[in-house]
Amino acid sequence: MTASQPIAEPIGAVPGGEVDLGGVNLSVDLAPARPGALSLRNPVLVASGTFGYGLEYGEVIDVQRLGAICCKGTTLKARAGNPPPRVTETPAGMLNSIGLQNPGVEAVLERYAELWAGWNVPVIVNVAGESIEDYVGVVRRLDGVPGISGVELNISCPNVGAGGLQFAVDPEAAAAVTAAVRRATELPLMVKLSPNVADVRGIAVAIADAGADCLSAVNTLSGMAIDQRRRRAFLGATYGGLSGPALKPVALRVVYEVAQAVKIPIVAVGGVGSLSDVLDFLMAGAVAVQVGTAIFADPGLPLRLVDELRAYCVEHDLTSHRELVGSALPQRRERPSVKGVEYRP
Amino acid sequence: MRLLEGELLESREILPRQWLQRYRAPWLAGGVRAGQFVHVRTPDYSGLVLRRPFSVNTVDRKQGEISIHFRIEGKGTEWMARLRPADRLEMMGPLGRPFEVDPRSRHLLLIAGGLGMAGVRALADEALASGRQVAILFGARSAAEVYPSSLLPDEVEYVVATDDGSLGHVGRVTDLLPAFEAWADQAFACGPEPMLAALATLAGGRDARLGVARLGRKGRSRPAGLGTPQARRRSWLQVSMEQNMGCAVGACLGCVVIGVKGPQRVCREGPVFAADEIDWEASA
Ligand SMILES: Cc1cc2nc3c(=O)[nH]c(=O)nc-3n(C[C@H](O)[C@H](O)[C@H](O)COP(=O)(O)O)c2cc1C
Ligand code: FES
Repeated sequence: MTASQPIAEPIGAVPGGEVDLGGVNLSVDLAPARPGALSLRNPVLVASGTFGYGLEYGEVIDVQRLGAICCKGTTLKARAGNPPPRVTETPAGMLNSIGLQNPGVEAVLERYAELWAGWNVPVIVNVAGESIEDYVGVVRRLDGVPGISGVELNISCPNVGAGGLQFAVDPEAAAAVTAAVRRATELPLMVKLSPNVADVRGIAVAIADAGADCLSAVNTLSGMAIDQRRRRAFLGATYGGLSGPALKPVALRVVYEVAQAVKIPIVAVGGVGSLSDVLDFLMAGAVAVQVGTAIFADPGLPLRLVDELRAYCVEHDLTSHRELVGSALPQRRERPSVKGVEYRP
Repeated sequence: MRLLEGELLESREILPRQWLQRYRAPWLAGGVRAGQFVHVRTPDYSGLVLRRPFSVNTVDRKQGEISIHFRIEGKGTEWMARLRPADRLEMMGPLGRPFEVDPRSRHLLLIAGGLGMAGVRALADEALASGRQVAILFGARSAAEVYPSSLLPDEVEYVVATDDGSLGHVGRVTDLLPAFEAWADQAFACGPEPMLAALATLAGGRDARLGVARLGRKGRSRPAGLGTPQARRRSWLQVSMEQNMGCAVGACLGCVVIGVKGPQRVCREGPVFAADEIDWEASA
């Protein structure tokens, strides 16, 4: 490691990970506590909900070369999702309110597990629920199924038992669902943070302490749009989640804060659209990124980012992108502010 | 489906703020069928994050050309209207499922509301090329917005309705349907959803009005295989639906309309549906 690595030991290094011809090792281990269980060949994943089940884009890109695929949010029972319209473009972004439409875990496994088992690329199943039992139920079903390489918990869902308050906004609920899922499976466990909170660090720490292997940050930011002609909310479900470039500074801030609060690997999500975005997130403390909305405009982007990142490492004499991880974080670890988010003057 | 580039050959404003653009795109022209669409990339991802879907308006297989017809609705289409010949446009396609014409159908009725002409236009050429007869019913607010007959093949019977009566029939395009429903073996429509819903209702009553016997079929049960090409071919009315899109390949579930069997992706199961696949009440 070089001097640019500020904090403690490197996170996300794969012991004996593959080194490609350029002499650059882009591999990353997202579950260091269970070595090799979720080691990716490269740090560019595709984000849940933007890449279906991995086949939809198969005609236009080689999905096998991706770092990993996070599939559409999966629930215990089938869900029909929200009424249309479900998406709309906004300045430098988009809103979506899909409402977790999916056929339920049983149908997902029946349709895709065998196919996934034959793939080189790890598939991480994104899991959603309305109660801890829901999450545990889905994860139990996934446990031990060939073709499933890991679980990503989408905790930005209303917790019906807690009056609809999202798991993601409450450290105790977030820790409880993480711990319950941790007990239910040996699968590598990634938990996805929501940006819709006042201070994300306490929540991140609670999730890490409850046994998550890594974190992904962030899910969409809550927003809405108006249909002026009809004088009502544009989206069928009124509210939607903001994604795309407009979300990136928020995601970057969350990664930067969380990287100083936890030791487990962080996968950055939110507005990744270029190599520059990838570098920003690495320097802010992420070991890998997920690409979401940008795929809609440019399906070839995730694989191009892998190539561009490798070229960048060659050009800057880096043996791995991991040398960049956290290099923009404060050199001395300061005691966390008690005043809340750190960007406030 | 492929990611490809089209080279702009010709661009003109055929109606106020409505543009017709012809592109050289041989691979696309070789495989696309009427009713399918392309997903077009706009520049500068940092500002406009989504592609825009456009029906393939006409196809010239021999020349390897396609055309699209659009209205300027925002920044993306404004940018497209400023493109000049030799400029390149990134497209993905062909996408979605095409209109399904029954081999026995001789008389095809095309019904378009406003920009909906772009959705059915290609079918007129396909049908004429296969020796069928085509009538197009077209509705617009006023004469100023009526699709120019000079852009249609001579063999087409073209009937126009305008809301203000400034050209053709006074009223809705749906008013014209009864005069053609006996003649038409199949009908294909594209336009605003209320228009499609009204047509679906009219189509539902057609058998009764014409006294068509439903031999061997009891009650009003739907034919098996709803949504299959075979079932669509047997249905008298097919509609091309519109919805905002994200991916256009079936991955994001952003483009659904509500069908009688639950949400249907316009980009994948559609954009063409048999009218009886759609839950018109839920969609309204
Ligand atoms: C259409 C759409 C559907 C999504 N569905 C899910 C989902 O099912 N589960 C989830 O955890 N995140 C979902 N997301 C959030 C993305 O995974 C990602 O966190 C977010 O879009 C920010 O990344 P981006 O700016 O690169 O798109 C969805 C996003 C979009 C745009
Ligand atoms: S636009 Fe993504 S599923 Fe249709």
